[in-house]
Amino acid sequence: MITIWRRLRHVLSWSRHDADLREEIEAHRALRQDAFERDGLAPGDAADASRRALGNVAHAVDAARDVWAIRTADSVSQDVRVALRGLRKSPGFALVAVGTLALGIGATTALFSIFNSLILRPLPVRDPGSLALLTNGSWSYPIWEQIRARESDLSDGAFAWAGQRFDLARTGQSDPVDGAYVSGRLFDVLGVTAIRGRMITPADDSAASPSGPVAVISHRLWRQRFSGDADIIGRQLTVQRVQFTVVGVMPPGFFGPDVGRRMDVMLPFAAEPLIRGRETRLNDKGSSWLQIMMRLKPNQEIEQTNAALRVAQPQIVEGATRQSVLTEPLTLAPAATGNSALRTRFETPLFAMVIAVGLVLLVACANIASLLLARALARRRDLSVRVALGSSRWRIARMLFIESLLVAAAGAALGLMFASWSSALLVRQLSTSQNTVSLDLALDWRVLAFTAALACLSAITAGVAPALGLTSIASGDVLKDAGRGIAGDRRFAVRSALVVAQIGVSLVLVVAAGLFLRTFASLNQLPLGFVPEPLLVVELNLQASGGRPEERGARVERLRDAAASVPGVRSASVSSTRQLTGGGWSSGMVAVGDGPMVRLRSVGRPSLWLNATMPDWFKTMGIPLRSGRDFEAGDRVGTGPVAIVNESFVRQYLPGEQPLGQHVRLGFDAQTRYEIVGVVGDAVYTTPREGMLATMYVPVAQRPPKTFWPTVLLTINAAPGQRAAVERDVAAALTRADPAVAFTFGTFDQIVAATVTQERLIAMLSAFFGALALLLAALGLYGVVAHAVRARQTEIGLRMALGATSSSIVRLVFQRVGLLIAGGLALGLAGSLWAARFVETLLFQLTPRDPLTFAGAAAVLVAVGILAAWMPARRASRLDPARVLREG
Amino acid sequence: MSPEPSGLVQGTLHMLILKTLTLEPLHGYGIGVRLEQISRGGFLVNAGSLFPGLRRLERDGLIRGEWRVTENNRRAKYYHLTPQGRARLTRETRQWEAQMAAIGRILAATKDAL
Repeated sequence: MITIWRRLRHVLSWSRHDADLREEIEAHRALRQDAFERDGLAPGDAADASRRALGNVAHAVDAARDVWAIRTADSVSQDVRVALRGLRKSPGFALVAVGTLALGIGATTALFSIFNSLILRPLPVRDPGSLALLTNGSWSYPIWEQIRARESDLSDGAFAWAGQRFDLARTGQSDPVDGAYVSGRLFDVLGVTAIRGRMITPADDSAASPSGPVAVISHRLWRQRFSGDADIIGRQLTVQRVQFTVVGVMPPGFFGPDVGRRMDVMLPFAAEPLIRGRETRLNDKGSSWLQIMMRLKPNQEIEQTNAALRVAQPQIVEGATRQSVLTEPLTLAPAATGNSALRTRFETPLFAMVIAVGLVLLVACANIASLLLARALARRRDLSVRVALGSSRWRIARMLFIESLLVAAAGAALGLMFASWSSALLVRQLSTSQNTVSLDLALDWRVLAFTAALACLSAITAGVAPALGLTSIASGDVLKDAGRGIAGDRRFAVRSALVVAQIGVSLVLVVAAGLFLRTFASLNQLPLGFVPEPLLVVELNLQASGGRPEERGARVERLRDAAASVPGVRSASVSSTRQLTGGGWSSGMVAVGDGPMVRLRSVGRPSLWLNATMPDWFKTMGIPLRSGRDFEAGDRVGTGPVAIVNESFVRQYLPGEQPLGQHVRLGFDAQTRYEIVGVVGDAVYTTPREGMLATMYVPVAQRPPKTFWPTVLLTINAAPGQRAAVERDVAAALTRADPAVAFTFGTFDQIVAATVTQERLIAMLSAFFGALALLLAALGLYGVVAHAVRARQTEIGLRMALGATSSSIVRLVFQRVGLLIAGGLALGLAGSLWAARFVETLLFQLTPRDPLTFAGAAAVLVAVGILAAWMPARRASRLDPARVLREG
Repeated sequence: MSPEPSGLVQGTLHMLILKTLTLEPLHGYGIGVRLEQISRGGFLVNAGSLFPGLRRLERDGLIRGEWRVTENNRRAKYYHLTPQGRARLTRETRQWEAQMAAIGRILAATKDAL
């Protein structure tokens, strides 16, 4: 160890030592000259004689230097130069190899960087390791007030936030951004400071805020909406129709405590009553909408804080809940990486995709290994000469390895660029109109280290095969046998093994692609129960526009009439609840007639889904009325409560009975008896995956105004081809009818598409990876067959000269190809059968070992394999035997 | 010129250099002259093997060199033994003597013993 250190130090002071040595040798010569002079020689003769006696100085210096120098350092740089020269001389090879690796490494890095920013990366705040999240779920504001009162006993600071979508428009069509209500100390506890102005303080988060209503905005919003104006501080910002003063801009990397959401506007909780008015949730003990985090005290374990929390729990519960619903112990969980709803949803698919893309990279490496090996074999003459001239085998292996390392490094550099582009593209695909997914994909050391590791791994995978394939090189073996190889040549064994592995891995990926594509296709073909094409959906937000809740019913009817009178609108109606979001309005318990309340589904899943609609809603949606009647203008508060049910409801709760005239009671409102006046066809309520569920509709006009949802959906059935024009005219009509209303347009197509975002993405990615692997495997097979045919052309020519027909030559080639493909298929099928179980949760209406998919994938591979081998086989069968034998 | 010290057993040059340095620090030329004198002309060490040898010994920490002025006012690099060098010399001398004794016994063996 010490020696190495001493040598290294020596290398670092190279020139000084060289000069030292030269001076020493000169001194040596001078001393000898003195001796000669003492012996009586003339000074001139003495100098000559001393020089002669010294011998070859240059050699001595070299030899002495070698004692110290690390010879490898010198020769490695020489190898790098040789490798670069070699790659420059064959730009085609370099391009294919670097391009293949760039795709492989780039795609892998792209997925990893998403994985990294969603799951691995800590929050960009001070000491994220000491943050802890109150689990499980969300909390009411009164609970937060209780915890805040005990903040300093429990922790080094606590904060709460609630993600919201805010509308920044002053009037008319909404302009939504993601934001949050935050407690006063959030920025202080996280250690985030403003780059302009100041962040929200506890003083802002009180009813008597000295600065009035304040907001802080993200760096991105500041740059994009205010073009980075320096005088942003003090400007007014309209949020949900209320004016706020911008007091600060958040730093660039900070997106809030939620990973996957970007909080562009943050308001203190104290601002919530300004926006929601009498419907403020700050005093509501029943609604849970907050997340709570704490910073642990220094040197305190999370268990200690948990214990303290449990001691305080009885008082917290007493002060903050209606009844003792909070029975589970309050528990903190480490939250260095923040809070994320996306994490659980995407962890499995993301992991599956990282594995898939890793396999693609493996196939790509096999291809490059094969190419490098072919190159090395083609250069056997050159390499044999090197061996003959005294180059060690190790040195040649190193030279080849450096070549693959260079290719891998170039591929990784290009791949990084490809990754930063494609990962942003992928994340955009995850966003829907309802839910914007935003991830900070900036490169960090984890991603860079991952890419570097990939590059090294690729270089090793691709570089080992050529080195192994070269064991047959001997110094005397300067090749004279070009084209004279015969079947069974050991040189092809390595490449053949590579091709078998490639086909096997490709089959695994093609099977996966088949499973995911079929899942996506069957999800897309599921019946919706309504006709989405002509539909426009307008989300009306009456709450943001202020006004008294009692008047909302009348306002909604006015808006509906305004929309219905627009030319091109065939019909328009209103419903209270958005469908196809995966959730909605529901009841856990249901009673039919005078029977008992029953819970049909398991706990946690509702037994009955509910929606409130206005007359003509079913007609607008294209849901058929099977029997009875639709709601009418006469169904109002005061008249008997009525309901319409769907066919699934009848099947579940009234099998074989006449549903009309029956009564239904709901668990949360057991006094009201709803009379069934109509039966309609089934329509998807939650997601197409869940299928048709029992649903009951009630008239909007019979709902008490207090429970009127802050937003309602105006559904418009537009005449064919006029959706865009209708959208524009309806927007104008709505603003004319009610200047205060906020609204957002959407189409049912988008809403339906949003239910399968994840499946679409998986299907898209796996199809891409499968196709890529297939292409690479085909190239690999083509390469190995073409090379084999070329190397055996003398043999083939001989066979033809002896009377073999061209079809028998094709058969000869295909015998070998068939063996390779069969081997690959066997390997791939075994791998797929084993790996299939891991994707089970991602599939729909398919078993993971679906025989049809497996057979289809195998057929595709065989077809591609035959295609890849066909061209070289043709060429072989058309060889001119006379020419081959003459020239070979 | 006198014959090259090709007869020198591989590795013994190092031991001899170390030995010449036990009495006093010497420069490279001085080491060559001293070896020649002591061996009564038996060994001629040329610069081509002397300097790599010195470098190797210096690298291994057995000797250390420093520039000084000779009695004739020339600058020369004087080498002296380090404690490790002294230990190494003792060890190698002992090994060498043991080997020589063994070889001597073999060469002196009578016909009967063979």
